[in-house]
Amino acid sequence: MKKFKEKLSGRIFFIFALSSISVLALITVFIIVKGAPIIAKVGFFNFVFGMKWSPSQGEFGIFPMIIGSVSVTLGAAALGVPIGICCSIFLAEFAPAKMREFFRPAIQLLAGIPSVVYGFWGLLFIVPFIRNFFGGPGLSILAGAIILAIMTLPTIISISEVSLLALPRQYKEGALALGLNHWQTIWSVLLPAAKSGIVAAVILGIGRAVGETMAVIMVLGNAVAVPLSILDPVRTLTTNIGIEMGYASGEHQQALFATGIVLFVIIMLLNSFAQYITRKR
Amino acid sequence: MVQNASKISVSGLNFYYQKKQAIFDLNLKIHANSILSVFGPANSGITTLLRSFNRLCDLTPGAHMEGQILLDGKNIYAPDIIVTELRRKVGMVFDVPTPLPMSIFDNIAYGPRLSGMKSKKLLFQSVEEALKMAALWEDVKDRLSMPAASLSGGQQQRLCIARVLALKPEVILLDRPCSGLDPISTAKIEESLSHLKEKFTIVIAPHNVQQAGRISDRAAFMLMGHLIEEGPARAVFANPQDQRTNDYITGRFG
Amino acid sequence: MGSVERFSHLLTRSAKRKQDFRSIFSRSEKIQQFNIQHSAFSTAVKDRLRGRLAVWLRVALAVGMCFSLALLGGCGRPKTGVIIAGSTSVQPYAEVLVEGYAVLYHDDAIDVQGGGSSAGIAAAESGTADIGMSSRDLNEKERELWFVEIAKDGLAVIINPNNPLTDLTINQIRDIYSTKISNWSELGGSPAKIHIIAREEGSGTRSAFESLVMGEAEISPKAIVQDSNGAVRQLVADDKNSIGFISLGLVDQTVKALTLDGIVPNRENVINGTYSLFRPFLFVAGKEPVGAVKQFIDFTLSPNGQKLLEHEGLISSAIEGIENEEI
Repeated sequence: MKKFKEKLSGRIFFIFALSSISVLALITVFIIVKGAPIIAKVGFFNFVFGMKWSPSQGEFGIFPMIIGSVSVTLGAAALGVPIGICCSIFLAEFAPAKMREFFRPAIQLLAGIPSVVYGFWGLLFIVPFIRNFFGGPGLSILAGAIILAIMTLPTIISISEVSLLALPRQYKEGALALGLNHWQTIWSVLLPAAKSGIVAAVILGIGRAVGETMAVIMVLGNAVAVPLSILDPVRTLTTNIGIEMGYASGEHQQALFATGIVLFVIIMLLNSFAQYITRKR
Repeated sequence: MVQNASKISVSGLNFYYQKKQAIFDLNLKIHANSILSVFGPANSGITTLLRSFNRLCDLTPGAHMEGQILLDGKNIYAPDIIVTELRRKVGMVFDVPTPLPMSIFDNIAYGPRLSGMKSKKLLFQSVEEALKMAALWEDVKDRLSMPAASLSGGQQQRLCIARVLALKPEVILLDRPCSGLDPISTAKIEESLSHLKEKFTIVIAPHNVQQAGRISDRAAFMLMGHLIEEGPARAVFANPQDQRTNDYITGRFG
Repeated sequence: MGSVERFSHLLTRSAKRKQDFRSIFSRSEKIQQFNIQHSAFSTAVKDRLRGRLAVWLRVALAVGMCFSLALLGGCGRPKTGVIIAGSTSVQPYAEVLVEGYAVLYHDDAIDVQGGGSSAGIAAAESGTADIGMSSRDLNEKERELWFVEIAKDGLAVIINPNNPLTDLTINQIRDIYSTKISNWSELGGSPAKIHIIAREEGSGTRSAFESLVMGEAEISPKAIVQDSNGAVRQLVADDKNSIGFISLGLVDQTVKALTLDGIVPNRENVINGTYSLFRPFLFVAGKEPVGAVKQFIDFTLSPNGQKLLEHEGLISSAIEGIENEEI
């Protein structure tokens, strides 16, 4: 009797686990089925490296959007990673307990703000700021990078902080007992020791930035051209889908699904890379 | 035996963690170029005492002390003392080996590099000297660029000793350095310690009484934050003055 | 099988399952009882717990089934309520019409959504929406659908109020949007890069602009793209180097509408034909409208509805009844 119940519950849990994987499989199969025909028709290289995106004329080259995604993500990383790591060092090493109690939930709150609210705030605040102080239309890579940097801060900060706090206490004590001061300890001992955790945090943050749509669709300007400066408007792979999905049909829709395939591959690669790095420790 | 000058002199030390008192009115004189064992059951304040010598206890929030600790006659808690320099003079080896995440060479050279030594030749000399003193040179001289983490536990601990030695300290503190090590590594470390005392002052908190008996010149027994008895090692172990010392040594409690 | 039969079938199957469950439970409970005999628990309490557990099981099962049925049932469209979707240009006027309609006919179950002209036409064709709104002419394939023009709307080219320019020719506008002219200094203004703002590809406003102004030339891909008239207007109001095009009826004091070859963009000039940029607002449907849909469209085309639209700034199409219009 007991055996039957155990088997039954085991099977039920297995079914639940299977159902979550099956959703992933369903989505993957769906976008591949919908998107592959257009890649076959246009040709892989023409699709991924084509410079012209003009669905009404049958041109489906997504390279400007790839550049857009890369530039916005790199910009977000350039802004967010140093700030995030410094913040995590502050929380792990310098902040008194009371401050930590205040900062940690505040940073988690950043993660809870819906991305569309970020986009809205960016549109009303960041975009005019860039327009007035840096020039250009304001809708730009820079605006997207700032917003995404803020959005990835919670990920980078919390995972880096955890990595730093997880270090054995003896690392720090050993370094201090050698006569190192606090900064030398952090820089030469703690950071290198926590390196793999921090790198994983950064990659996960970048993965999130690559997949962001709502926050950036309002501030990027959505121009389908290769940007020449960070003040130029761009379109990313995600915002391209977001803007055009509403009215796309036929080959146009297939091309958007194909864009989804490309995004999927990119994010899978990033996640696998992050996992590989964390496992390597 | 010539009375050596007091290297470290502790008078009236009371140590507190927040409200809890860890050390009660401790007076102790540690002679230069000798090995002092401070032994006793767990939570007796031994680690606290050792850490107060290099002010590592400053790290614990809420830790404060009354009394005086003099190193060569100077109070190490005076406000004009630079703590980082103190810690180079008073080195510490912990119960768990803590190799820095770098190569063997870089581990040892780290301290000297920080003190400003840049010449490759000088650095290499320091590293070689330190490793020889720690009896590790023969084992690693061919693989100095390997990561320190690739060494065995006993070797890593000797690496930590060499690292401290490279800074040319005056006092070496060892807090249960051989816990978790096999007997051969333990023997090697004990042997190097007995050579090192010619140049340095050594305070060791052994992880068992037998180790204290093997290597120390003088021994001090601490119980629940009080210094019960202190004297030449042979006297303390063969003929303890206090009943509690006797009970602990013979294993009646621990 | 009808839904009722399906429901009762499910019920009987679940009843059988409940039987199995109960027998499994009683067996395991016998074992539990034996084990607990030695504990301080009284058997009376145990019995009461068992009864309560069975009741809760039944309640949970029933709630779960109702929930899933509700979800399945709700999958289709609600039987009442008209759905209108499409052009963001037409959208605010449709909303005004809905309000007026609600006052007269006491029917407020009409839902107006955006999405752009192309999306609206597609929705009407597939039946997802009862009425699709379009702010451009239909192409050949789309003309197979039922449609009617409800009003005409002017297309205004707008710039920031701080921009000293007041007049441009259509050629100049075309050159701006194809980036042949890229700096305001080429038009007599102070040197600054022109920021061109366009609508997304599925927008009726953009299609109208392309056919009325651009002709064979293409809007540069470097143009900033925004997905509604309101967004374009907001952007032009904020950025003093920008230029955009929006529905004439939506021009307000935050932006400046350019005169085209000296012609002021207003209703009169559209009606008398001197201002050439205007497009039809269409209501499109997948099939001939009936019922509430027909009633609403009739209202739109009635004098009351047309007066409402004129009041909001559109140009009345002045047609009566529902006809398949050739535009």
